[in-house]
Amino acid sequence: MGGFFSSIFSSLFGTREMRILILGLDGAGKTTILYRLQVGEVVTTIPTIGFNVETVTYKNLKFQVWDLGGQTSIRPYWRCYYSNTDAVIYVVDSCDRDRIGISKSELVAMLEEEELRKAILVVFANKQDMEQAMTPSEMANSLGLPALKDRKWQIFKTSATKGTGLDEAMEWLVETLKSRQ
Amino acid sequence: MFAKLKKKIAEETAVAQRPGGTPRIPRSVSKESVASMGADSGDDFASDGSSSREDLSSQLLRRNEQIRKLEARLSDYAEQVRNLQKIKEKLEIALEKHQDSSMRKFQEQNETFQANRAKMAEGLALALARKDQEWSEKVDQLEKEKRFLTAQLQEMKNQSLNLFQRRDELDELEGFQQQELSKVKHMLLKKEESLGKMEEELEARTRELSRTQEELMTSNQMSLDLSQKLEELQRHSSTLEEQRDLVTASKAGTENKITALEQKEQELQALNQQLSTDLQKITTETQEKERVIIHLQERVASLEKRLEQNFSGEEHVQELLKEKTAAEHNLEATRQQLLAARSSQAKAIDTLETRVKELEQSLQASEEKLKQSSDIIASQETQIQELATANKESSSAQQQILALEHQCTERTQALEAQLATLERTRAAEQTATEQEMKELKQENATLKEIKNECEHSLQDHQLELKKLKEEWNQREIVSVAMAQALEEVRKQREEFQQQIANLTTIIEEKEQSLQEKTKVILQKEQEILQLQEGHDTSLLQMHQLQSELEALRSLRAEESEVAGTQEEELLRLSGQEQDVVPHAASRTMQDPLYQLPAAEGILNGEVVTTDLGQLQKEKQDLEQQLLEKNKTIKQMQQRMLELRKTLQKELKIRPDNELFEVREKSGSEIPNMAPSVTNNADLTEAREINFEYLKHVVLKFMSCRESEAFHLIKAVSVLLNFSQEEENMLKETLEYKMSWFGSKPAPKGSIRPSISNSRIPWS
Repeated sequence: MGGFFSSIFSSLFGTREMRILILGLDGAGKTTILYRLQVGEVVTTIPTIGFNVETVTYKNLKFQVWDLGGQTSIRPYWRCYYSNTDAVIYVVDSCDRDRIGISKSELVAMLEEEELRKAILVVFANKQDMEQAMTPSEMANSLGLPALKDRKWQIFKTSATKGTGLDEAMEWLVETLKSRQ
Repeated sequence: MFAKLKKKIAEETAVAQRPGGTPRIPRSVSKESVASMGADSGDDFASDGSSSREDLSSQLLRRNEQIRKLEARLSDYAEQVRNLQKIKEKLEIALEKHQDSSMRKFQEQNETFQANRAKMAEGLALALARKDQEWSEKVDQLEKEKRFLTAQLQEMKNQSLNLFQRRDELDELEGFQQQELSKVKHMLLKKEESLGKMEEELEARTRELSRTQEELMTSNQMSLDLSQKLEELQRHSSTLEEQRDLVTASKAGTENKITALEQKEQELQALNQQLSTDLQKITTETQEKERVIIHLQERVASLEKRLEQNFSGEEHVQELLKEKTAAEHNLEATRQQLLAARSSQAKAIDTLETRVKELEQSLQASEEKLKQSSDIIASQETQIQELATANKESSSAQQQILALEHQCTERTQALEAQLATLERTRAAEQTATEQEMKELKQENATLKEIKNECEHSLQDHQLELKKLKEEWNQREIVSVAMAQALEEVRKQREEFQQQIANLTTIIEEKEQSLQEKTKVILQKEQEILQLQEGHDTSLLQMHQLQSELEALRSLRAEESEVAGTQEEELLRLSGQEQDVVPHAASRTMQDPLYQLPAAEGILNGEVVTTDLGQLQKEKQDLEQQLLEKNKTIKQMQQRMLELRKTLQKELKIRPDNELFEVREKSGSEIPNMAPSVTNNADLTEAREINFEYLKHVVLKFMSCRESEAFHLIKAVSVLLNFSQEEENMLKETLEYKMSWFGSKPAPKGSIRPSISNSRIPWS
């Protein structure tokens, strides 16, 4: 009887949606990545004032992906969304060398949050299709990623418009999430 | 000419002294002017002493008068110079003030304008970019939709093709079905026919059976009849035997009768003989009687003769006649009696004879009868024999009948068995056929269902197709409308761009004008400096003039003339310089520089007048420039207001006058206002973004799933400054909504907007 109920409950509630936040400075390509992951197409986006939330299914794992607007004035509201987050996709514009410092400070501030202590960090070095793009190692160094402790992180070079690198990143994320459970 | 000038100067001084009543008198000017006054009087007397003649005295007097006049003029000049200095100072102050104010205003204007322009341009560019993006997005979406729709259309076409194929298949199926049905029907008909045949056979058999039964019945009846007949015949034979007995008895009787009759005949013959004897006697008697009758008739005739002879005695005759008639009567009666007896005798004889005859006849008849009866007996005996044979036959027939009955029963049994088997087979066939029928019906039903389903699906597909087509049309319409809107937006954008271009050109113009004005101000400062220098030099020149008055006296007339011409020139120059404002400063700057050294060296009085003129000119110029600048400032303010209005209209921002006023105030109060303005702009922008963010979050919070909304509670409560209680309340409510059980959390008193909480403004 109990097994029956538990099977029902597991069938009903067992597959909990993974909660993922896509963060990053404005114009890094968060919304494009979200919709690339969801529908597999490149959509034209406008600056996100607010957020987008979509359910993405990848390898039988359901993700509730939140793409939060990255404009300076609304960045402080990121922390309202931190609770119960399984993973953070931090998107960085590989060509935006000027604001890499801001990006780093935002990342560091975010990683200091207690609510995100257990969250997995995936850094997307986005816009790799551009010529003057930074390499992932360069970016990892400039973001101070090697100094991170007690944090599972990985950096991937991606191009949301070309669709490259996203699959590898999601693969890693899925595997990491599965192994963590 | 001079009077006019004096008047003018007096007026000007009056004007200059009226406000404030000379609050600050330039120290150097006042002292020197007093000193110069004293020095003038000394110099005049000294110059008077240099000539000794009366001519000279008259000349001296004239000169003195001239000197006085000159002194007066000089004093006038000094006064004028003082006034001018005062005016100059005032003007300087005013100029400084003006410069400051104008600089501030310009800075303000410039900054506000630049800020405005930047904001507007940013806003416009942002709006345009957004709109552009939106439209491009929409267009992309539409294109996607279009593609999607075309794909759908193709799919639908494929589907419709599939449908048609299906329909064809269906038709084929239906054909097959119908064929099968017809086959089945054919089979059914055949079966039914066979059934009918069987039934007919059965019926024929049953009829046969009934017939045989009837035959049986008839044969039974016949047998019964025959037995009855037999019985009857037996009865008949018994009756016949009885009759024979009777007949034998009657024969015996008749024989007896015959003997009796023969006896009777003999008797009768005897009687007849008697009667014949009687008859002879009767005849003898009749003969005697006839003799008597003749006797009597003779007597009657004798008597009648007697009567005829005797009439007298008539009575006796009559009586005798009477007696005669009576006797005659008697006679006749006896005759009649005789006749009667004779007739009766004859009759009796006749009767007897007839009786004999009859008896003979009856005898003959009885004999005949006997014969007949014997014949009958013979015949009956034959009949009996026949009957016996018939009886035998009947028994055989009965046996036959029995045999037949057996046969019949056997046959009936066989037939019944056959019937039963046939019925069974029929039932089986019926069941089989029914099953087949059922199966066929089911098949038919299933096929019909399939057909119906297909039709439904077809209809659905068609409906879908229609809907999609409609949608497509609508989308097309929408896309057309969107394209139109896009075009409009593009037009608007172009207009905006044009406006921006216009605005930028205006700004550039203004910047240019500003630069020009700053240049002019710089020039004026230089001018002022130069003027001060010129003033100093003029003072020095005044001293020089006082010392060199003697030299001047000889040249007074010429001087006056030259002064007149110079005045005219001055006026002309001032007219020219009024026309040419921007270059006036440079010229005024150049003029004193070039003219002063020349005047210094040659003509001191001239220099003073030119200086004065130049000062006046400069003053006028400055005043005019100030007026112009004021005007331009006013115009720029108006333009700014207009631009602000247009900006507000175009950015569709509600007129935030308060904000603007604050900004203006801050701008006017803080001299270094560039950062503050940008801060304000940032602030408003941040506010707008915050408002938009709040709007978006609240909209999403209301529209998204509960599991998503749960994560938004914190954002909403942060954005709306919810208290912890309110946030918890919201969480509880959502949890209640999400869960299947539990009760609705009771709203606590603190949900109402807490007034006690100090509202923290945005950002």
